[in-house]
Amino acid sequence: MSHSTSACNQQNPASTSPRQQHVLVVKRHHLLVRWSHWLNVPILFGLILSGISIYWAAPVYQHKPNPTTGNFDVAADIGTWICSHVPGLHQYSNPPGWIYNHLSLGPGMLASALRLHWLCAYLFMLNGMLYVAGSVLGGGWRSLLPRRTDVFDALKMFRYYIGFPFAKLIRRKWLHPRFNTKYNALQRTAYFSVPVAACLSVATGWGIHKPMQLHWLAAIFGGYNATRVWHFWLLWIYILFLVPHLILVFADGWDTLRSMIVGWSTRLEPPEAIAHDRQ
Amino acid sequence: MIDNKNRNPSLTAKSVAVKKPESFFAEQPPQKSEMAPARLHRLTRRDVLLFGAGAVAALSGAGFLLPQNTLSRLGVAGKMNSPRKEWFLNQALRIDDDVAEALYSEKRMVPTYTKSQITDLKNNYNGATPDPGYISGWNLTLDGLASGLTISLDIRNLMTRFSIHEQITRLVCVEGWSAIAWWAGLRFDDLLRAYPPISQAKWARVESSVNLDASGNPDPYFMSLDLATARHPQTLLATHFNGQPLTVDHGAPLRLLVPVKLGLKNVKAITKISYSAEEPKDYWAEHGYSHYDGI
Repeated sequence: MSHSTSACNQQNPASTSPRQQHVLVVKRHHLLVRWSHWLNVPILFGLILSGISIYWAAPVYQHKPNPTTGNFDVAADIGTWICSHVPGLHQYSNPPGWIYNHLSLGPGMLASALRLHWLCAYLFMLNGMLYVAGSVLGGGWRSLLPRRTDVFDALKMFRYYIGFPFAKLIRRKWLHPRFNTKYNALQRTAYFSVPVAACLSVATGWGIHKPMQLHWLAAIFGGYNATRVWHFWLLWIYILFLVPHLILVFADGWDTLRSMIVGWSTRLEPPEAIAHDRQ
Repeated sequence: MIDNKNRNPSLTAKSVAVKKPESFFAEQPPQKSEMAPARLHRLTRRDVLLFGAGAVAALSGAGFLLPQNTLSRLGVAGKMNSPRKEWFLNQALRIDDDVAEALYSEKRMVPTYTKSQITDLKNNYNGATPDPGYISGWNLTLDGLASGLTISLDIRNLMTRFSIHEQITRLVCVEGWSAIAWWAGLRFDDLLRAYPPISQAKWARVESSVNLDASGNPDPYFMSLDLATARHPQTLLATHFNGQPLTVDHGAPLRLLVPVKLGLKNVKAITKISYSAEEPKDYWAEHGYSHYDGI
């Protein structure tokens, strides 16, 4: 509501001087970076759904078959546990399939899963090239490079995030660490790690997809079976990244979200520097 | 040089004022620019609408690409299984097959292992294991030969006529598990030289007529193999497993061993090989798996 009102005022040049008609803006993300960022959402969604259906056919984590049920799959055990402990799920018809019924294309769908996984994997690689092109054209790659001070600064940021809810609870002032770069050290580590993880996902993916023609690739990761374990664990890097990423973007507000959709930001300096100056 | 500098103090002063050149890797300061709020508002509205359209497109794309079973579980009513969906997904699969074919080289050998690295190989017959009764009357039929004849060979014939090669290689299943096993047999390439196929032939259809489905009824297993792969030196018509003649579990008396392909191409108890110019049908491709299965 307030957004549209202010826009109306600005469209009325008579009420303001020409100088005030302009806002200072800064380009945060290159067009190609923004496109590849959002294209990752459906692509990764397809890769994860189909990937867990592929996992169903050959669980990376298994134990000796249970003498009564014959089950050897840890994900099936987790499903069984969820159905017996979560209220409302006690009547669920197929507890060992719970994980696969909710987090994958479904159990027993290997052919569909492989087909979708290859499709999304090729799209993921193409999208990666889009991202690299955007990072180079926009020069944004420089903001992602790790610095020598990052370990210490990241710890400071980590301390800030951990303490933030408690400080709010007891209404104490809790200052955001100062920095004068595009990203703080913790963001930089995260935004640098994700493309690295993506490259590793692609490399391990090819390693298990073509273990004969590209056998040297699987050998780098410790062999055919070990490469599959790597590929599976890289999934957790994305999930580990995604949870705080989503929380923080909404906590940070519209300007940050807009900069990834529209590219422009009206925050000329890091918000915490402004906050410091106001105190 | 020094003289020049002394005589020209203004130049020296200027050079001091010039900023130290930034490293190529150093972060650039943000480029600020002025923009009319109305323009920013317009750009924002345009891109947010575009973003919304993209989200709708992604959702309908998911409806188009996800399997029917998955959509039904998500509560999407109605049939979304169009022939176009199958066509599109199979096109994507064909691209991957083309990549696999481009990676293939007759000269690139698959890794071989030592006897201490051998692992267990389970009997992975998809249906019931056939009754060993077929073995005594077993023959290999060759069809689509340059001679125009249909040839029938028994196992003694094959084992005495061709030299036997040994290899310890990994057999990789499409499901993700694999096994390192010790095989011996004749090279498919040697059979192709002894009984050349028709000159236009690019494909072999490798068939087992003794294959059974899960309830024990006849379910012939057939598989397409490109002749380039058949000519690979590590593509064997295996007669032995772990130093012993093949057991019925592993496809006695003759099975295909093609380590550059997924396990499902490694047909057990082969009864017939037919050569053709056109790509023959494939048992698992009809179930939505790839045609080429190169690994």
